[in-house]
Amino acid sequence: MLDSPPPTAVRRRLRQGRDRLATALITAGGIGVIAALLAIGLFLAVEVVPLFWPSGEASAISPEALWSGGEAAEDASRHRWAPTATLAPDETPRISLAPLAWGTLEAAAWALVIAVPLALGAAAHSSLFMSRRLRSRLKPTLELMEALPGVVVGFVAGLVLAPWVERHLAEVAAALLLLVPGPLLAGGLWSRLPAPWREALPLGWAGLWLVPWLALVLAASVWLAPWLEAVAFDGDLRRFLELRLGLDIAVRNALIVGAAMGFAVMPSVYALAEDALSGVPSSLAEGAQALGATRWQTFWKVVLPAASPGIFSAVMIGAGRAVGETMIVLMASGNAALMTLNPLDGLRSLAATIAIELPEAGPGGVHYQLLLLAALALFVFTFLVNTLAELVRTRLRRRYRRLGGGA
Amino acid sequence: MRGGVTKTAASRRLRLPRGEGAGAWLCAGSVALSLLALLALLVLLTVRGLGHFWPSPVALVTLEDGRQLAGEGVREVPLADGDGLERLYRTGNRDLDGERWAWVRVSAIEAVGYPADLVVVERRRWGRAIGHLVAVQGAGGERLEGEAAWTALEARLAELGTLRDARDRLREEVILPLAGRRDDEAAARELEAAHARLRELQAAMAGGRLELATADGGTLTVPLAQALGAYRPNAMSPLDRLAAWGEGVWRFLSEGPRAANTAGGVWPAIFGTVLMVMLMSLLVTPFGVLAAIYLNEVAHQGRLTRLVRIAVRNLAGVPSIVYGVFGLGVFVYGIGGRLDSWFFEAALPSPTFGTGGLLWASLTLALLTLPVVIVATEEGLARIPDQQREGALALGATRLEMLSRVVLPMAAPAMLTGVILAVARAAGEVAPLMLVGVAKLAPQVPVDGDFPFLHLERKFMHLGYHIFDAAFHGGDVQAAMPLVYATALLLVLVILVLNLTAIFLRHHLSTRHGALTRR
Repeated sequence: MLDSPPPTAVRRRLRQGRDRLATALITAGGIGVIAALLAIGLFLAVEVVPLFWPSGEASAISPEALWSGGEAAEDASRHRWAPTATLAPDETPRISLAPLAWGTLEAAAWALVIAVPLALGAAAHSSLFMSRRLRSRLKPTLELMEALPGVVVGFVAGLVLAPWVERHLAEVAAALLLLVPGPLLAGGLWSRLPAPWREALPLGWAGLWLVPWLALVLAASVWLAPWLEAVAFDGDLRRFLELRLGLDIAVRNALIVGAAMGFAVMPSVYALAEDALSGVPSSLAEGAQALGATRWQTFWKVVLPAASPGIFSAVMIGAGRAVGETMIVLMASGNAALMTLNPLDGLRSLAATIAIELPEAGPGGVHYQLLLLAALALFVFTFLVNTLAELVRTRLRRRYRRLGGGA
Repeated sequence: MRGGVTKTAASRRLRLPRGEGAGAWLCAGSVALSLLALLALLVLLTVRGLGHFWPSPVALVTLEDGRQLAGEGVREVPLADGDGLERLYRTGNRDLDGERWAWVRVSAIEAVGYPADLVVVERRRWGRAIGHLVAVQGAGGERLEGEAAWTALEARLAELGTLRDARDRLREEVILPLAGRRDDEAAARELEAAHARLRELQAAMAGGRLELATADGGTLTVPLAQALGAYRPNAMSPLDRLAAWGEGVWRFLSEGPRAANTAGGVWPAIFGTVLMVMLMSLLVTPFGVLAAIYLNEVAHQGRLTRLVRIAVRNLAGVPSIVYGVFGLGVFVYGIGGRLDSWFFEAALPSPTFGTGGLLWASLTLALLTLPVVIVATEEGLARIPDQQREGALALGATRLEMLSRVVLPMAAPAMLTGVILAVARAAGEVAPLMLVGVAKLAPQVPVDGDFPFLHLERKFMHLGYHIFDAAFHGGDVQAAMPLVYATALLLVLVILVLNLTAIFLRHHLSTRHGALTRR
């Protein structure tokens, strides 16, 4: 550039013209792309309108119909989703979205029940105790876990895990019982180990060396299962659940979906929670520790409250992902539109319903519009949840900057 | 918790600090549990996915009642009534008894042998045939028995393989391109010649059959043209097995599916996935980068821009199925339907673009991954210090020159990371594709010798959908499982490699540009 001759007026004007043109193009393109992205919500809203304000002879669908499946719906067809069923002339169409919304929320709730403790525990451990080297490896590993396609997780959950669990209910119950005492036992034993052993198995690497330990614990639970079944569940857990508690057991049930989706959602919750925890200005933690608090006390009393908005937003993001996840629910849930509290029964979610039924629903029909309404509901829900999370996160970041100068 | 502490301090440290007890270990346990779950999933996929191709020994099982069956032991389950075990054998000869699987009570088994001369024949129809080789009859009618039969069979099958390859090549490279130009004199003559050659090849492949004595005492005759391969699993050395395993993996990767997606390979699905992802990244890269440049470099950094930025970020969290719905409503029914009524009226009412296809799938996934690319590129742009921009402008560069010579080259690795992450996300996404163009079985790949070579309106196969379809819609799920495992492993490997590349790039980027980071 230095040795080129000084630009003449013409060349300068050309350059400036080109620059203005490029800026205009970038502006137009950028606005166009962003508008196209934002058009998604608009499109769904516009397509759904005719459901409520029909133009022709078709009758509007009342919110009541969407909730319970019609005003005059008798008990048998209340809260039913069967939009393609052939109806007797006097029957109201069974188009209640309630069981689908219920299924969606139930699956998401179970996913969060599994993902949130795991993710928060992992985030706490990695921000408190974990050695720096392990942490720098753990993050990409969990990112890989997040990237595992839903169809693979759903396949393993629906076709491998679900049949296995159905045959080994007692083993699963035993494993669940041992999951909490397992690490505690490891901690107890660890504190009794001679010092050189403890040097070899530091707490900073516990996330890694507890893996074989947990595998051992799970193996022990398989071995303990018959005993547990005999002592606590009259010898047969399945019969116990069905007769004593009156629970139906489906092979593909809400708990399986929750476990699979918890597995899928956990990494994103972890990443955000870890960000929030490690973003807490270190001056706060150092102050607490200088006053004599242990690391755990510091974490519990100082760091966690400071980071709680960030953790809230992490959980929100996880909820958004769990609500919209399609393939896992589709493959692991059995897709029966039920409204029960029983976690061992099947469910059907909005997203899975769209995936199954939309290709068959002709464009413009009521069924099509109902499915678009379901999509709109998903869109609005996830968009709101994510916006909330993002706003909380932005405010939190500002607060950290005030507190500790972004240390 | 480092070494180098004095003895007294170390001995004080011996006791676990009381407040740090339970919580710390539970947290460590949750890390371990997550890793264990991930590890278990990967190991399961690897073992089952790769193990399927290993030629396991075929057992000849003699039952107490004298019946015999031949097959590979798959697994054992406790009997429903609680006493003893039941073992599942994967058998063959479905055309004789209609079964591919046999459950046998372990206590009812008298003897299990592994005779070296058991032959497994892979067939085009009816799956595998298992039995003792009795005789091979050549095309000319000569009949060979004993060990000579086996050598003759091997030679003939190898010959058939080359003939089959030649036929497929002829079909794809000569006949299909010519078939499009029927009115051309010279082409018609060439086509005639090619058809003659094809008939010749087919005649060379016809004839001959082999006879198997099955385990239950029957005889099974297989026309040699139907046989795809034959091996004697019990007579193989470990090296032979390894070679057979490699060949099995290769055939899985390079062949098309057979038997309603429960056998054969996944080549069309690999092809479709890669093609769709490539188209998608061609679409998403320029638009994503454009939007990111606009947001970060051109737009006035006010309240509105901040809101738009948050909105774009949030669109990354909108469920993929919603994008699929948008793609179906706008691209397929909206734009596609309009295109059909303008340009393809002759073909109506059967839709050309008004149904799911490669183009619409790529566009939908491009839209889905747009936020990923925008966010990653914006992060890269924000990391470039303002001094760089100001320096360029101070030296007299226009904004375009500043962007294209200084800012974009520095942000290139970030863009690449974004695109790779987008590709990884798109490769694993199945739900939107179910709405906008994936097919259970696409007879024609979207690329061929016909003008315009790339058929954007065609449906295509996809690895992820192949998993879903084979696992849930196949007739014999049990038989499809090994292939589903293998396909899942393949998909996971592709995605892992893409993600590792992105992670590596990002790491590389942050160490290289660490000094430049805007604080």
